[in-house]
Amino acid sequence: MGMELNRRNFLSATISAAGLVAMGPLLSACGGGGPSRAGVNSGSGLNAVLPAYVPNTSIKPDIASVAGGPDVMTDPGFLSYPANRVATVSGVPGKGGKYSAVTPLWGTIPPADNAFYQAMNKALGVQLEMKPADGNNYNTIIPTMTAAKKLPDWIDLPAWWNSNFNTGGLVGNQLADLTPYLSGDNIKKYPNLAAIPTAAWRAGAWGDKLYGIPAFSTGYKIAGCIFYRRDVLEAKGITADQVKSADDLMNLGKELTDAKAGVWAFDDVYRYFYTAFGAPLKWKVDNGKLVHLFETQEFLDAADWHRKLAVAGYIHPDALAGDNAGGNTRFYAGKALIGGGGTGAWNLADHQSGQAANPNYRRGAFNFFAADGKSAPRVDVGSATDIISYFNANLKKEQIEELLAVANYLAAPFGSAEYTMVNFGVEGTHFTVENGAPKPTEAGQKEVQAQTYPFLAAPSAVISNQSAPNVTKDMTAWQAANVKALSKPVFWGMNISMPQAQATADAAQPVEDTLKDVIHGKKSIQDLKDAATTWKSSGGGDRLIQWMNDNVLQKFGTGQ
Amino acid sequence: MTTLRSGRAERPARLNWRIRLRRDRSLILMTVPAVLLLVAFNYVPLFGLVTAFQEYDPLAGVLNSPWAGFYQFERLMGDPLFWGAVRNTLYLSFVQLILFFPVPIALALLLNSVLSLRIRNFIQSVVYLPHFFSWVLAITIFQQMLGGAGAVNHFLRNNDIGTWDIMTDPDSFALLVTSQVIWKEAGWGIIVFLAALAAINTDLYEAAAADGAGRWRRLWHITLPGLRSVIVLLLVLRLGNALTVGFEQFLIQRVAVGHDAAEVLDTFSFYYGIATNDYSYGAAAGLFKSVISLLLIWGANKLAHAFGEDGLYRK
Repeated sequence: MGMELNRRNFLSATISAAGLVAMGPLLSACGGGGPSRAGVNSGSGLNAVLPAYVPNTSIKPDIASVAGGPDVMTDPGFLSYPANRVATVSGVPGKGGKYSAVTPLWGTIPPADNAFYQAMNKALGVQLEMKPADGNNYNTIIPTMTAAKKLPDWIDLPAWWNSNFNTGGLVGNQLADLTPYLSGDNIKKYPNLAAIPTAAWRAGAWGDKLYGIPAFSTGYKIAGCIFYRRDVLEAKGITADQVKSADDLMNLGKELTDAKAGVWAFDDVYRYFYTAFGAPLKWKVDNGKLVHLFETQEFLDAADWHRKLAVAGYIHPDALAGDNAGGNTRFYAGKALIGGGGTGAWNLADHQSGQAANPNYRRGAFNFFAADGKSAPRVDVGSATDIISYFNANLKKEQIEELLAVANYLAAPFGSAEYTMVNFGVEGTHFTVENGAPKPTEAGQKEVQAQTYPFLAAPSAVISNQSAPNVTKDMTAWQAANVKALSKPVFWGMNISMPQAQATADAAQPVEDTLKDVIHGKKSIQDLKDAATTWKSSGGGDRLIQWMNDNVLQKFGTGQ
Repeated sequence: MTTLRSGRAERPARLNWRIRLRRDRSLILMTVPAVLLLVAFNYVPLFGLVTAFQEYDPLAGVLNSPWAGFYQFERLMGDPLFWGAVRNTLYLSFVQLILFFPVPIALALLLNSVLSLRIRNFIQSVVYLPHFFSWVLAITIFQQMLGGAGAVNHFLRNNDIGTWDIMTDPDSFALLVTSQVIWKEAGWGIIVFLAALAAINTDLYEAAAADGAGRWRRLWHITLPGLRSVIVLLLVLRLGNALTVGFEQFLIQRVAVGHDAAEVLDTFSFYYGIATNDYSYGAAAGLFKSVISLLLIWGANKLAHAFGEDGLYRK
């Protein structure tokens, strides 16, 4: 799972770098003005249909979840794999139906109709034909299916591509409305789905109706954080709690950079740090007035800080040359010691890669702090998941119910018998148990390792790094220490579909381009100011703000 | 006029088309697959150009998207970023024409003068090789060598000589990309010139040498005239492609030097069309480029004919 999470985050980052979406579906935009749009989730309307939440208590984590604000909580931690694999589904969920499913896969596509698929079909009681498609080209594969109106019965549409897929236009049109099956207490028929927190269902809701089934949801969804090489910094006597302001961070640049030795303190951190200056993720409401990020002084301050970091020579030259893909290699090799990234980067695979480069390798993350060092730290949360699957609108009622029962099986909690089957396959064939943890066999690596079924439905996230419990301890401790800083931004979970012209203005490519030049020290803050002004006047910015105000803020409020 | 053109056959007399069809039947059959490919992948997609006159919505499809007339083109004309991309494209194209175009010719002449077949083949293989690398790899190699953390700068830094910031300097970007192109493509470019050189009658050299012509005289009076038609043909194609300077090379280095220096028409279409879902705008930029390219290639071909060369086709 580690690798997949890594790649997803990488993709997410690439896309936001391209200026498409800032954070998942938070402000997803749909192209064109032709077909009808699902519109916006309103507060009260959606609350009336959201499924009931019935947490599962059969499997206790080693490190319990810590609650933060509303819809915010840390992921529970498991230091070892649960020995007693509880069964949560009795009997076989399916009734022999025949279906097809398409999911994105970043890795080697497993052979079709392999032993694992056959075992899964037997366990699920359906003929579910899995058709994993290349994740790197997924955003171009799916539009050809939707244009031909040939979607499979069950499909995963990651929310960071909502604008590419025009998910807001597909729901109710090519994708089935699940509201009658899942709203309120109806979901209790599917206890494992009911154990997915309510916030996750919002991510798949459009126009106050339920369409998507969430996977890998979390109460700790943030854009990312600033990572550091804990082993290297602690060896120099620097601990995370000493870093409390933007100035502290800047000083680390001076202390840690040793260009002659080929070591630079920083990789890019802007995208994971700008909100620390008090800048909004994208929108804020100031005395009832809607304000865009580009209109704020805090945005300029954040860019200027990063510009100074670059000009001072504290950022690795390859990062300045735009080589983001090499960031991990630089981090493992100790050539760049501090870098921003999605929290998905912190996992077992990372630990193993890092230790391969340096046996002392330990990843750490700075606590969230406000740039001035005085204000209370604040981090915006995103919607609870980006991995969402949908049913084809052509399915009949019985078929939808059958597939929901299958989804219920797939969403069985971490460590259960079903979870073990979905993620590791058949014991003896696909995995063996070593030190209490399932270890994939060769067949398992070929057929199961790649994530397929969980992209259709999966339980909410847990932190578990078998064979490296210390990573789990580090992560859960960091999450718990920072959970109070997480808060919902405006328009949280509202899945806004906007017309083409607004979507283009929302992407704000010219400003994003100038911003990149500024934070790499190639342009001045005045250039960024000018770009933002031009964007507002002739780039559609003012019209976007007006549209958001009239169609979202005034009609539906902030969604907070 | 025709009599003055050396090495050119007289145009055959027009035959009845039936007779010609019967005569060329097998040749025509052989070209059919290539023509079909061309039609399927080059001509049929031209239909998509209508999106440049629409507010194209991928979900609604081409047929149902609303019409926008010349709105996208009006936007283009008023977009300073677009004109920046045009300026960059023309500038880079010009620099490459001056600095890159002569390199394969010179290399071919040089190689041709090497007598040992073994050394010649070896050099040829070495200079061909980079052509088969992807741009990602080529630029990574440049970054590893010349980048801020690369081998050269590491050496300079450790000897306190200061650093050479070539990979991220927008002012020298044109020279950087041209040297990358030379490194990667010059070897490949010599193939056609070597073929043309091989076609020159060696008797001419012997005769000239017997008449006391030196190396330079032979080069000037025999070799270069022998290459002339190939050079002109490639020059015409080059001019027609003046607005196509490459895509990946600029996409990869766009962040490094900033979009002001690295934005060319193709990356503009990508970032401001496809990446922001503004398909019609990207299509309009692409169409604009195609029309200008067509005019350029037509003009260059006319010019070639005016100078008595074949150009793209024989007049």
